[in-house]
Amino acid sequence: MTSATSTVPSTADGTDPAGASLLERLGEVWLELEDHLAKVPVLQRLDDGTVTLEDYMRLLFNLRQQVIDGSLWIARAASNFDIDHFELRAAAIKHAEEEHRDHFLLEADYVALGGSRQELRAGRKNVGSEALSGYLFTYASRPNPAGLLGAMFIIEGLGARRAAQWAARFQEVLGLADNQVHFMTYHQEADGAHTGDMEAILTSGLIDEATADEIVRCAQVVARLYALQLEELDR
Amino acid sequence: MTTTASAYLTGFGRYLPGPPVDNDGMAARLGGDDAVTARIRRSILQSNGIKQRHYALDEQGEPTELNEELAVKALTAALEDRGIRPTDLRMLATATTMGDVLVPGFANMVHGRLGGGPMQLLSASGVCASSMAALDAVVSKVRLGDHPRGAVVASELPSRSLRQRRYEGFRAGMDAHFLRWMLSDGAGAVVVEFQPHPTRLSLRVDWIRQVSLAHDHAVCMRAGMSGDETHVGGTWQDVAVPDAQAAGMFVLRQDVGMLDDLAQAGIAQFEELVDTGLVDVRHLDHVICHYSTNVFRDVAFDALRRRIPSLDTDRWFSNLETRGNTGSASIFIALEEAVRTGRFQPGETVLLAVPESGRFSFAFAQLTVVAPTRPQGASS
Repeated sequence: MTSATSTVPSTADGTDPAGASLLERLGEVWLELEDHLAKVPVLQRLDDGTVTLEDYMRLLFNLRQQVIDGSLWIARAASNFDIDHFELRAAAIKHAEEEHRDHFLLEADYVALGGSRQELRAGRKNVGSEALSGYLFTYASRPNPAGLLGAMFIIEGLGARRAAQWAARFQEVLGLADNQVHFMTYHQEADGAHTGDMEAILTSGLIDEATADEIVRCAQVVARLYALQLEELDR
Repeated sequence: MTTTASAYLTGFGRYLPGPPVDNDGMAARLGGDDAVTARIRRSILQSNGIKQRHYALDEQGEPTELNEELAVKALTAALEDRGIRPTDLRMLATATTMGDVLVPGFANMVHGRLGGGPMQLLSASGVCASSMAALDAVVSKVRLGDHPRGAVVASELPSRSLRQRRYEGFRAGMDAHFLRWMLSDGAGAVVVEFQPHPTRLSLRVDWIRQVSLAHDHAVCMRAGMSGDETHVGGTWQDVAVPDAQAAGMFVLRQDVGMLDDLAQAGIAQFEELVDTGLVDVRHLDHVICHYSTNVFRDVAFDALRRRIPSLDTDRWFSNLETRGNTGSASIFIALEEAVRTGRFQPGETVLLAVPESGRFSFAFAQLTVVAPTRPQGASS
């Protein structure tokens, strides 16, 4: 699928048929996600330039309630990889450590916009975030939850490919300073590095066919639930 | 990444203590009703053109308020004008020539009296242009995105040091009399935000420029020293307080012979802004200039007219004659009145100009009037 390969970087050398095929399948999931994102009201308003400061603050408020769980489900997954999955455990531990201060960046942006840190911290998850977080924690509690690589593919992909575009557009429309979009711009670099690490795993030959199916299925669920989280702001 | 972040003035407040005092009421409060002093006073008033002013002094000349109280009242007015509370502020910058106390900083005392939550503070000191330094600081931090909202207040209470007791025991020359019959009390404040006011006009801050020429000029306005040069052992902090008092060191003085140079230097700074394109004379709708006397109004106006032949007096705003010369507070007190009386329309530009005689510094700012983000009547 040519459009998939244009969206998802192809494997470094293309010599591993199993890895390449997995990336192609994930590329299709990514396209489904893009279709869903195109229908998310706040992103439509961002696109057509009618987005408001309140929209941006609501988005941050809603994201924050799920972002605080990010390193927790990854850490839980890490604890469930046995010695035969040592590489995945190592990667998950490293990733969890890198993520677990992210919500402070988001808080700083929110406060720099005039929002209250106390209100942000007292917020609850929207229905999409509840579903997403619940699914991820449940999945991470399984033995050897390698399928979560599909979740990371989606979540890190959003950070690496979309968040900085959103940030630039919010800045353009609302006249925001860099210090007010730090969470979204930071993720371009951080998640770009993570997706690089992950693609190395996906194409390493460590992933068998059954695991590849799990990864793709998990990516599909997470893609849908992530879009749901953006659709269900404040609900 | 290029950022389009801006800072907007969204709330305006002022506080002028007590009833307006006309020229005949000055001596009752400040003293100095002997024939010689009265003659000097009349002469100075005639040239500065001030017809009334406010003092935080009662009719017997006793203080009625602190400088920090004037500041808090102006700030409260600005916050109410914007419809926000002190807890909404993340930064406060204050300007004053002399706070109530030597230590701590004026901003700390104003914050303590105002209340609100944790916030960044700056106490800008100096003389008239310290207000613009304070404004620049808050505007810069808001544009950086470090704070969504801050306030600036400039406040002066010189009257208590203009009373007769300060002028006794030494021969007060013209340098001491000039300011005594010119300066008065008041405070002005603005709210600075990263977004325009949702339902009313705001003033976007396009740029602020401040420059000192102290490298090239001696001290012009001063207190706490004798003569126009400082020397070791010779400031008010070095000698016994009674000796400093006897030497007239606690009197505010201005070397009036330097004021023509000050005006010319200020005009040269303005010309430079025009030459570099910061000021577009084809699109300069309003000018609010702080000056101490009407003599300098005419000098400055003539200079502007050389560059802007179409400039008429309607575009020039000052309330010196009715609110007095309140030093650093003057520019905000004038801006507040200009906004409140509806002088500005969306799209127009406003040039603020504040020369400071202290040791020759000049501050300018350009504002653009922007329409509300939401139609009138929408809730904020």
